[in-house]
Amino acid sequence: MDYRAQIGIRFITRRKGSLIAASLAVAIAILVVQVNSVIFQGLYDAIVRDLTNYRFGHVYITRQEDFIKKPAFVLVNWLERIPYVQAAAPRIDYSAQINSTVNGQLIKDYQVPVIGVDPVLDKEASTMYQTVEGQYVSFRNSIVLGAITDRDLGYPQIGDTVKLKFKDQHGNDVLKRFTIVGITKTAGSVGLDNSVIVNIDTLREIIDRPQQTQSILVRLNDPTKDQQVRDLFLSAFPSSADKFKAQTIEESAELTLSGFRSGIALINLVGYFGMMSSAFAVVTIQMMQVTSKTRDIGVMRAIGSKRKDVLLVFIFQGMVIGAIGAGLGTALGVVYTVYAKETHLTFQGSLALEVKYNWMGIAQTDILAFVLAIVASIYPAYKATKLEPVEAMRVG
Amino acid sequence: MADYVLEVENVDKVYGQGETSVQALRNISFRVRKGEFMLIVGSSGSGKSTLLNMIGLLDRPTKGKVIIDGIDTSTLNDNQLSTFRNSKLGFIFQFSNLLSDLTVLENVILPRKIQGTLENAEEEARTLLRTVGLESQMHKFANKISGGQAQRVAITRALINKPTIVLADEPTGNLDSLSAETTVHLLKSLNRKLNQTFIVVTHDSPQFGDVDKVVTLKDGKIVEGELEASMI
Repeated sequence: MDYRAQIGIRFITRRKGSLIAASLAVAIAILVVQVNSVIFQGLYDAIVRDLTNYRFGHVYITRQEDFIKKPAFVLVNWLERIPYVQAAAPRIDYSAQINSTVNGQLIKDYQVPVIGVDPVLDKEASTMYQTVEGQYVSFRNSIVLGAITDRDLGYPQIGDTVKLKFKDQHGNDVLKRFTIVGITKTAGSVGLDNSVIVNIDTLREIIDRPQQTQSILVRLNDPTKDQQVRDLFLSAFPSSADKFKAQTIEESAELTLSGFRSGIALINLVGYFGMMSSAFAVVTIQMMQVTSKTRDIGVMRAIGSKRKDVLLVFIFQGMVIGAIGAGLGTALGVVYTVYAKETHLTFQGSLALEVKYNWMGIAQTDILAFVLAIVASIYPAYKATKLEPVEAMRVG
Repeated sequence: MADYVLEVENVDKVYGQGETSVQALRNISFRVRKGEFMLIVGSSGSGKSTLLNMIGLLDRPTKGKVIIDGIDTSTLNDNQLSTFRNSKLGFIFQFSNLLSDLTVLENVILPRKIQGTLENAEEEARTLLRTVGLESQMHKFANKISGGQAQRVAITRALINKPTIVLADEPTGNLDSLSAETTVHLLKSLNRKLNQTFIVVTHDSPQFGDVDKVVTLKDGKIVEGELEASMI
């Protein structure tokens, strides 16, 4: 082994307190970045997952203006012929005034989003039905209340009725009574908790838009092919009369996700500032090492070591600190990630995080921490090279 | 000229500048032949350690020259001085100054590692350690042996590169009388056996008995010894 590496390693490994302190500083910085990543990237991915599952699918097809005139079954059949497509389902997003009467008393009267779904196809293309306590919409007058709507209405029960007042496409009021068959509640309210869900055919009838659809959710068996499916669809239906708009989940949920992305970037920045702090800890500990090894540096210089050799001794020390810190930090981070994944860790007790093993991210953080530990050693090492042998041996 | 392994010519050393300056050495000149055992003696503050630092190329004279093996060291840059110290000089310090994080054997081999000539280094180190009676201690860390043993290790370290001159600064100053006697005996026997040049700074010259040369310093000047010869 190179003697400078040998001395550097011995200097630091035989000062266990310094080694532990410096390595811990690096390890904790890595752990903070990884925990941030698990929580906040996990939260972001969980939101993407739930928006995909409940609202948009992997590809979301709408018309640039107005409703889709082409019959939904034509589009669904066409889409389901693409090998990557698992299922497709039409939906209509509308709104209505809702009120509930409990014991003959009007509880609430306000505007609520109404989602029209196909009871059969929607179960294939979305997992919305899994969030429902009771039944999903089935018969024509059935309705599923979102948990927030249910709360706002004073907790009407399954079997109770609610009355919705719609405006059809001509501006006429249409009053319709529905029977509550289920309550939907999603973790983190990412689903349709503030909406109501009704049968799409009933909604079409009420608003007088027979055969029309507002959007089509497309669920893929290979989500990585979303752009391919989007492009295939747009190239198959290029007509200017159709004016279709097809978007991947990242595009369709852009408004929701862009804020999160900024938040994650900020949190990551905080993590990397933590890493910079650990670099200062390494600088301090290395300066202490230089001070405690002043005599040895003087002796090395006296018996022939050059200034660059002394520099390398402390750079090797930094490498040891970086390697041990990075190893420890990664191990702790991976343990935390495994724990989060296996226990289906939730954010604030509700939304289950979508935990992924981001090996590339872990490797990048490790390399950055390792390099920082070395960079942090340069100044103390440089100070060590400035020591004159006689002076170093005298004061050491 | 070639007879001399060391020539010190008109060396002055001044610390500081202006009114606060201190002249540590004044016009020091002497020569040392190969295989000589020389003492530099003087009271505390006489400049003997400063002189040894000049000879050891650990410090530069303000004026004058230090010529070792015919090479004027004043022309060497910092890196060349390091290489020169490594190959031509061996150091024995008062406090042995071993690296406590290395074993005895690793300390002895260190100058060879710095030199990059590792062939047979361990074998030669073992032989030297056997010579000073420390073969059984070679795998101990340097801070786990006694002061006398540490000084013998330091002597071994000073010899491993077969230097032109071994410089010793108060080598017995920190030892009990028995260890001091052993160290002196060792230095003198190595001088005879290896024809190795030794320059020893001491304030206790009688301890060393008969030596080839003694230079006595007082207030930075040679007051007895080589002065007259070098002035010729």
